[in-house]
Amino acid sequence: MSDLIKKVTALLNDKTINAFIGYEKGSADRIRATFIRNEDQAQKLILNASCTQNLAGYLLKHEVKKLGKLGILANVAALRSIMQLASEFQIKDGEVYVLFANADGSLTEFTDFKSIEAFLETTDTGIKSEEQEMIAKLEAMTVNERWLFWNKEFEKCIKCYACRAACPMCYCHRCTTDVNQPQWIPVASHELGNLDYHLMRAMHLAGRCVNCGECATACPMDIPLNLLTYQLISPIKATFGATAGMKADAVYALSTYKPDDKENFII
Amino acid sequence: MSRIGVFVCHCGENISATVNCEKVAKITGELKGVEFSTDYKYMCSYPGQTLIKEAIKEHKLDGVVVAACSPRMHEPTFRKACAEAGLNPFLCEMSNIREHCSWVHPKDDLTTEKAQDLVRVMVEKVKKNKALNSIKVPVTKTALVIGGGIAGIQAALDIANCGHKVIMVERQPSIGGHMSQLSETFPTLDCSQCILTPRMVEVAQHPNITLHTYSEVESVDGFIGNFKVKIRKRSKSIDEHLCTGCGLCTTKCPQKKIPNEFERGLGFRPAIYVPFPQAVPNKPVIDREHCTYYIKGKCKICEIVCPTKAIRFDQEDEVIDVAVGAIVMATGFDVLKTDYFPEYGYGKYADVIDGLAFERLASASGPTQGEIRRPSDGKIPKKIVFVACAGSRDPAKGIEYCSKICCMYTAKHAMLYKHKVHDGIPYVFYMDIRAGGKNYEEFVRRTIVEDETQYIRGRVSTIYEKNGKLIVKGADTLMGAQPVEIEADMVVLATAGVANHGAEELAQTVHISYDPYKFFAEAHPKLKPVETNTAGIFLAGACQAPKDIPESVAAASGAAVKVAALFSNDELTRDPLVAVVNRSAPPVYSQCVGCFLCQSVCPYQAIEREEIKNRNGEVIKTLARVNEGLCQGCGTCVALCRTKAIDIHGYSNQQVYTEIMALLND
Ligand SMILES: Cc1cc2nc3c(=O)[nH]c(=O)nc-3n(C[C@H](O)[C@H](O)[C@H](O)COP(=O)(O)OP(=O)(O)OC[C@H]3O[C@@H](n4cnc5c(N)ncnc54)[C@H](O)[C@@H]3O)c2cc1C
Ligand code: SF4
Ligand code: SF4
Ligand code: SF4
Ligand code: SF4
Repeated sequence: MSDLIKKVTALLNDKTINAFIGYEKGSADRIRATFIRNEDQAQKLILNASCTQNLAGYLLKHEVKKLGKLGILANVAALRSIMQLASEFQIKDGEVYVLFANADGSLTEFTDFKSIEAFLETTDTGIKSEEQEMIAKLEAMTVNERWLFWNKEFEKCIKCYACRAACPMCYCHRCTTDVNQPQWIPVASHELGNLDYHLMRAMHLAGRCVNCGECATACPMDIPLNLLTYQLISPIKATFGATAGMKADAVYALSTYKPDDKENFII
Repeated sequence: MSRIGVFVCHCGENISATVNCEKVAKITGELKGVEFSTDYKYMCSYPGQTLIKEAIKEHKLDGVVVAACSPRMHEPTFRKACAEAGLNPFLCEMSNIREHCSWVHPKDDLTTEKAQDLVRVMVEKVKKNKALNSIKVPVTKTALVIGGGIAGIQAALDIANCGHKVIMVERQPSIGGHMSQLSETFPTLDCSQCILTPRMVEVAQHPNITLHTYSEVESVDGFIGNFKVKIRKRSKSIDEHLCTGCGLCTTKCPQKKIPNEFERGLGFRPAIYVPFPQAVPNKPVIDREHCTYYIKGKCKICEIVCPTKAIRFDQEDEVIDVAVGAIVMATGFDVLKTDYFPEYGYGKYADVIDGLAFERLASASGPTQGEIRRPSDGKIPKKIVFVACAGSRDPAKGIEYCSKICCMYTAKHAMLYKHKVHDGIPYVFYMDIRAGGKNYEEFVRRTIVEDETQYIRGRVSTIYEKNGKLIVKGADTLMGAQPVEIEADMVVLATAGVANHGAEELAQTVHISYDPYKFFAEAHPKLKPVETNTAGIFLAGACQAPKDIPESVAAASGAAVKVAALFSNDELTRDPLVAVVNRSAPPVYSQCVGCFLCQSVCPYQAIEREEIKNRNGEVIKTLARVNEGLCQGCGTCVALCRTKAIDIHGYSNQQVYTEIMALLND
């Protein structure tokens, strides 16, 4: 029996938690999320190098919340998601039991936000180098080239909203896209509708995206839409000194004003 | 089906010169839902308003569009007219075909077409308008006055004499402000203390005024009529009820060489002190920074000598909460510090002093009992150079404005000097003499003609010491920039008036705006000079810009009237054009997800948290709620809310969308 299974079984048995979000084997050689409620189910839990999904998005799903007090197997992205969600008052301190899987397979438990913050301070939370390169390429383009690049990508979008469902920060009960009184974002997946949706999505995640990449992973059309929000990370850091998902009591950089904020983006 | 009336105004010829108003009325009259349309020369006039009222009754209109000037100009006028005719005023909208059309375009068919478009957009909007009711908020009839200089004193007395309660907060141990340091005041030369101190006493004794000295405002929440304020009362280290103000402690304190701030460093004071003999309250405080007991842990001589055992070394700061309906800012000004003038040797040479120090030298209660003696050796100076505009009107020093009071007090200083030292020669370097004010020019004339003051037009470039004299070098620009050199015994700098230290932080604490120089900003430079942009907060005196006493007092009385007017009602009525967070049936309760990003973005602290509880009292959802009293309808939250849970009454998403669609669907 793995350490993970032992630990989760113990947590369930002594009622520290009522359910645990982890990984299990899916169809073919895929890995998928699983929601463990008892000792029997706990035997399904696995942990290996392919377990990379950011599970934090499930914490706010209505069906999962109903299960009671939650535990979660977290990677760095999930820890940051939890911090960001905390700063947006979606998770309270002590409400979620967090097990972090270290690179060597050992587990670290976090029961409060302070310890997660301390851990993140000394952890690499940056964007992967392949993605850095893609961003550098995008930034090297002229505005027009970039426009064409994205239009070409968005042409592929079928508006399945898998990206929205995968994103831990897309927890609104009613997304702007679903608002029809009035319908600011056209529903149909045509050029304008797609552009509107993606611009809206990028705006809503600016300074909140924790660079987990779930949106792009989820996309059936292979649109690298995570780059759109990644590209906003460094300017927000440079301008306002803020990075999403690092502190539970952070205030959102784009909703606050400090007298010494830079205003160099105003033309 | 709507029954909308369209009323197109010619605005004399302001609109009709370039727009065919008759045509606009005719074409828009054919729009779906428009029941009646007409044009008229002056819609805002009595006959114009009557026309609207009668049309509402006759055609049973359920919406009105007035196509005329800017809503900032006449929206209240037309809404009132509609209300008088029985139509909810918020079903009336204005279409601005003057500033947005006739004034900016030539006479042309296209201009008329644009006017038609603007009207059409508003017709569509009005179809979505809802009848709204004005908001009523209660008023706490107590005013807070921050700062106890002459402006604060005047405002407090005026408000208190109207029968309202006043809480005054002053950060110094005594009220009085700069005026208490002045010797005699221009343009009448009456003694500053003689006209000020009776008012200070009146403040202390007024049954409606509560005075907190040595205190500062720590936080301000709430809104007009309903502010909640925390005041930090710094520890004075004495029990004010026991202290009789006998002053024995101040004579026995071993610390005797602390530079006296009130005397501008020209004298000394002990660590337990009353800032000046006429101080109100006339009870000492211990300056803990300099007190031997707080530095070394022993002394307590004051405690031993105090006959009433009033000394309290362990006293702590106290923070009190007060509720007030209005706030008057009266925190005054400051003057530029020494380090701004290396070229004048200010701070380096003892005999280069500033105007306030000169006031103390000239004051009968000052360190020299009113004799003009120079600080270095106590000799009577035979030549004094007064430098006006020291720092003012000098972009190089970062101050482009005129400090306004310096021309006058410099003339006063020269005059006082001449009255006291008959054989002395006063020189004044000036840029221009600005003596606008009742009897001001005459006053300056007297200084020049009767008191033989040498006015030299030009700036001083350097001052240095040589053989016990101060060599003042400058240029006389009226003599073709001829160099001037004066061997003076003393130099007085009329240092620029600047915002008081801490003004910026205070403005942020009370949530009012300030200008680039950190002076508090008025709502309108001409028509709202004592109001701020924050409703319920007013300005008095030199915290707004350098002001002399008459101006400070006038502004203070103006602010007091505004407060009294506010307090004349038990409730305030406000336009209901505020934000609202939607609510729906359980289990959703609202589209709001409680992220509270709107709370941090709201510039008016108008967003509150509301907990939805189940029958067992457990919180099942926390939602945003807009405080209607605080919300100014700016719409910032609407732009931020990702889930579109917030909307603004009168400017809803639906209305704005409809307007845009009306244009696009042309
Ligand atoms: C050298 C000189 C000579 C002058 N001579 C004349 C003259 O002859 N005639 C004339 O009409 N005018 C004269 N004036 C101008 C006069 O001093 C001002 O007009 C007057 O003092 C302005 O009054 P005030 O109450 O607005 O400000 P102030 O006198 O500056 O009073 C402000 C008060 O607020 C308090 N305060 C500041 N910040 C806070 C805070 N955060 N919390 C609580 N309290 C605070 C201060 O301690 C002070 O008591 C002279 C000025 C100078 C510099
Ligand atoms: S936008 Fe994409 S990368 Fe960013 S937090 Fe959401 S899912 Fe993760
Ligand atoms: S997942 Fe891909 S295809 Fe689906 S909505 Fe998002 S970007 Fe479009
Ligand atoms: S921003 Fe919108 S969703 Fe978030 S708390 Fe405010 S109203 Fe609710
Ligand atoms: S409209 Fe403006 S003032 Fe009103 S709640 Fe929203 S942000 Fe605050």
